[in-house]
Amino acid sequence: MTILVGYLPTPEGEAAVDAGLREGRLRGERVIIVNSPRRGAPVDERKISDAAGTELLRRAREAGVDAELRQPLHDDDLPGTFEELIRECGGTLIVIGLRHRSLVGKFILGSEAQRILMEASVPVLSVKAPAVRAEL
Amino acid sequence: MDISPILDGFGVVLEPANLLYCLIGVIIGMLIGVLPGLGPGATIAILLPITYGIGPVSAIIMLAGIFYGAQYGGTITSVLLRLPGEASSVVTVFDGFALAKQGRAGTALGIAAIGSFVGGTVSILALTLVAPVVAGFALDFGPPEYAALGILGVLLISSVGNGNRLKAIIAACVGLLLATVGRDTFTGAERFTFGSLNLAEGIDFIPIAMGLFGLSEILYNLEERHNQVHSPAKVGNVWPSRKDLGQAKGAIGRGSLIGFVLGVLPGGGAVLSSLAAYALEKRRAKQPERFGRGAVEGVAAPETANNAAATSSFIPLLTLGIPANATMALIFGALLIQGIQPGPQLVTEHPDVFWGVINSMYIGNILLLIMSIPMVGVFVRILRVRPAILAPITVLITLLGAYTVNNSAYDIYLVIVFGVLGYLMKKFGFEPGPLVLAFVLGSMIENSSRQSLLIFGGDPAGFLTRPISGTVLALVVIVAAWPLIRKALRRKTPDRVEEKIT
Amino acid sequence: MSPPDPTRPDPTRPEPDPPGAPPLDDADVLQAEADRLQAELEEARPPHAGPYAQLGAAVVALAAGVFGVVVSSTLGLGRLTQPGPGLWPFAISVIIIVLSATLAFTGRGLQDTERFSRSSLLTVVGLVTLVGLASLLPVIGFEIPSLLLMFVWLRWLGRESWRSSIVISVGAVAAFYVLFVLLLQIPLPRLI
Repeated sequence: MTILVGYLPTPEGEAAVDAGLREGRLRGERVIIVNSPRRGAPVDERKISDAAGTELLRRAREAGVDAELRQPLHDDDLPGTFEELIRECGGTLIVIGLRHRSLVGKFILGSEAQRILMEASVPVLSVKAPAVRAEL
Repeated sequence: MDISPILDGFGVVLEPANLLYCLIGVIIGMLIGVLPGLGPGATIAILLPITYGIGPVSAIIMLAGIFYGAQYGGTITSVLLRLPGEASSVVTVFDGFALAKQGRAGTALGIAAIGSFVGGTVSILALTLVAPVVAGFALDFGPPEYAALGILGVLLISSVGNGNRLKAIIAACVGLLLATVGRDTFTGAERFTFGSLNLAEGIDFIPIAMGLFGLSEILYNLEERHNQVHSPAKVGNVWPSRKDLGQAKGAIGRGSLIGFVLGVLPGGGAVLSSLAAYALEKRRAKQPERFGRGAVEGVAAPETANNAAATSSFIPLLTLGIPANATMALIFGALLIQGIQPGPQLVTEHPDVFWGVINSMYIGNILLLIMSIPMVGVFVRILRVRPAILAPITVLITLLGAYTVNNSAYDIYLVIVFGVLGYLMKKFGFEPGPLVLAFVLGSMIENSSRQSLLIFGGDPAGFLTRPISGTVLALVVIVAAWPLIRKALRRKTPDRVEEKIT
Repeated sequence: MSPPDPTRPDPTRPEPDPPGAPPLDDADVLQAEADRLQAELEEARPPHAGPYAQLGAAVVALAAGVFGVVVSSTLGLGRLTQPGPGLWPFAISVIIIVLSATLAFTGRGLQDTERFSRSSLLTVVGLVTLVGLASLLPVIGFEIPSLLLMFVWLRWLGRESWRSSIVISVGAVAAFYVLFVLLLQIPLPRLI
């Protein structure tokens, strides 16, 4: 069984990976780190470089967790991308980072995290970025 | 040589409005050079209606800025993403991307920008000296010479461009045929109008260019699958070190020369010259194996050459009235719209246009150097914009722009019709470039051949007995038969060919 | 890519350098590298369409040539001393016929066509919106048709979310209004 961790190169994403790896060790499950860029533009700042990916996997190894990095493209349906991965890998849990956003910001930009919370077919663990990151 | 018209040209360029249009042009050029999808040809086509609003000099300064600005912009994606924005930046990918992988993307971009600047500037200087001489030489040309030159131009563009040669020539002939629609200037007879009042005036150049170059490209790109997303690349320090500059110095010098010479040839001057410059550097290098693994010269040479070629491709247009590539055909059309006939008389009859455009390129290159060294980060950010958002905006600019030309929806329909034609042509492997070029030159070729026939009293042999038109027509035959000649040469010297491959 | 066949021209390869260009020894090697890159870029495009599409294209070109010959001969060819209005189009049409007949026979193996795929439907939808804009523009002004076109392109052709489609299309049309109508004062047909 597998834990899916939504990862973006932000403090929230780091917090999600931390929580996901802890959860993986606790449950003894495999972790898939999902770094999904938006399809279309030649460059997406959400996509992490190969070096950053290797670094994430190194962190997982140190934590004693069997981890894998996936970078599927998504259109305007990130929850769907997660659902596909859940079906494919037998996902049991999604871990995502939440970020505070004002009401207006949420209305204009929408919130992918919120949609995952609402639409996911498995339990979702949502974490916040620590105010001051102690570890890492 | 009388330099006062040249100085007056600087006066024209330094007018604030023209400086502004130059700046707008090079910024748009950089942007579309960076963005995959729309090329400089499509962009210039879409912006053609603007030429009605602003004067001819300003318009051409801006359109030219888009053209050479795109050469700078295309480098950025070649180096950072291994994605050549322009065909002439393809070879830059080999060493540029290798440098970027070593964390030296900034060095590659900096060297490319300096090379482009030097190449462009050297080429403008040479253009300043050569163009009036060529124009003076061509002043004696009569209709037979123009007919022959026009045919040679169309044939060369069809032969040197990408894609199948037969298809390109067919497309060119269709362009010639489209140019005949409307009232015949000699007899007043209506040709291919089928009783339509709209067609009796002939087909305007603007909707054809906007449709075949602009709209068709947008429609064609709708089918693109975007399955590659890159993570943001770090550009780092863009100022090349003294050592890098020293290494690239020779390549930049030779690249300028190759670019200038090959750019004058009609056809893919910029593409050809970037290939030639790269090949030359690789052959001259003490350690050719460095090429492809991040040699600074491998970036400097092609980038210098393609800019020099882009600049010198203005020579045939400004002096003979023969556009050297599809983009020049658009600028040719833009000048015609303003009632200015590009050709040998241009330098004497419209010195403000001639020198204004040439001198604006000095300014444009300086602006581009400023933008591509300290401001490169700004342009790299553009890559995060999704083409799906830009496409409808471009479509709207195209259609509304087409409407404003004559304030009629007929022009919008015309753009759509030619957009579909261009889309289908691309799907079936026909390049729209030769068609547009042939359309632009069509009435010139027809009128001058008919005038020549009148001069010769109906004897076509007259074309061959005049020295210049005879030589040009001989060139036409050589170009037409070139694939056969080449094959024959290769068969005769099989040893040499094998030697080349191993 | 298939191995190069010496009997037919390779469509992806530019024609040989024009006479007068300096001989390039490494050009062939370099061209091969450039071709490889090109092929990689073309992965984003649909596959090639095969011999019938080639034949079809040649036949369409041939038909255009025949049409040109028929129409221009009714215009009157005249004589070389006194060329009629139809002579020049006639000559071009004959060339078109000859070349496209050659293409029909020799070009069947070319690979430069593209298959129509499901995504070609996107182009058709796009086209319908263009015709819609052209027909509505003179009637109800540019604002509403532009807004609709933007929205359809963003939401269905570009697969943007509902929210960003609405926001971007409204924003873009407002920007067009400010730029074209208020600043440049271009006489576009308007709603009010």
